[in-house]
Amino acid sequence: MYMTYYDLVVKLNSFLRINKKTLLILSIFLITIFFSAIFYKKGDIDKKEENFLSIDPKFDIVNPSFTINNAKEKISVTANKGNFLNHNQIFLKNNVFFKSNNFTLLSDEVTYDKKNQTALSNSPSKFESEGTEIISEGFSITEKGDIILFNGKTTLILKQ
Amino acid sequence: MKYIITILIFFSFQTIGRESGQTEITTDDGIEVFNIEKYYLLKTNVKIISDEYELNADLVKAYFNKDLYDITRIFSDGNATLNSSKGIRASGEKIDFDIVNEDLQIFGKNSQFINNKINMFSDKEIKINNITGNFLINGPNSRLKSDKIDITGYFIKGKFSQIENTNEVELLYVEDKTQINIKTETLDMYALKADYDKKINIIELFDNVKIIRDNELIVGDYAKINTLTESYKVTSKESRKVKALLDKTDE
Repeated sequence: MYMTYYDLVVKLNSFLRINKKTLLILSIFLITIFFSAIFYKKGDIDKKEENFLSIDPKFDIVNPSFTINNAKEKISVTANKGNFLNHNQIFLKNNVFFKSNNFTLLSDEVTYDKKNQTALSNSPSKFESEGTEIISEGFSITEKGDIILFNGKTTLILKQ
Repeated sequence: MKYIITILIFFSFQTIGRESGQTEITTDDGIEVFNIEKYYLLKTNVKIISDEYELNADLVKAYFNKDLYDITRIFSDGNATLNSSKGIRASGEKIDFDIVNEDLQIFGKNSQFINNKINMFSDKEIKINNITGNFLINGPNSRLKSDKIDITGYFIKGKFSQIENTNEVELLYVEDKTQINIKTETLDMYALKADYDKKINIIELFDNVKIIRDNELIVGDYAKINTLTESYKVTSKESRKVKALLDKTDE
């Protein structure tokens, strides 16, 4: 009986010894994965933040979007980023698009007034409508898009 | 990065140019697009080039119909010139060109319209309709000149007809408070008013009539001239007489 108990203890000990080792390896493996995952995630977040900061540390809005409503049509205004100049005016930058059912207008830098629904640009601009193309050194939109003024040397191509 | 994007956009924009069938409009000081009123306002040193015509002016108002490309009327102001591929040359202070109705109006000092062998001049206005052939030359120094006839007067109104690709005067009315003058290859006619109808080949002259042919001068109050036979009849009011002066020539 004593021998049997001893044998059992030895067996259990050896069993526990094996389990301890396995558990230790397993624990180390799991901890490694856990910390790796945390470090990877943290690194990714830092990387993203670093990217944002490297584009422009001063921008206020990413992918700003507005709408100009007039009696005839809706004109959507989109850009890659924007900065608030004051409560109403936003300086839109990169791929600034004015788009309605009738036309698109592309520029790189536009000051948009959301209260008066006006826009002003002094950057090269391209206007496209069916059969119409206007290239100018800038533009301004007034009267909720009913009047568009293209500034500076301007070329208008009409295709029939 | 933003500079590269700007440069790329700028150069991609610059690559556009007029192709056949297109109209190119360039300005030095921009274009205003009025969507409700349906017109473009083109400012400073405006050039419009199409297959059919070339127009230059200081300021242009170009009206469009339903679509932005559908130009129906061009009103140009300041040093306006219009040259067409069909040989028309027009210039004046202002030119109003109705593309749909083929109606051309030239305004201001030194207005002129040249179409092959027909020249029109005025210091006020010239109006021509290419479809109907109707024309009007109104104002000081108004003149209609072709290789066959030379007409001056304050008010010249008439109609062209096209015969074998040449324009001929079909109807003509000339008026001036001081004097009108009609010169043909053989006749030099003066009066205050003149009326011509090609169908009946008759020119009628009214008031202060004077006809000069070779060495012959005839004065009266009314004259009726047959342009085919070149025969004429001159009459005068009761108080006055027809005067004929014959100049002797050495033989």
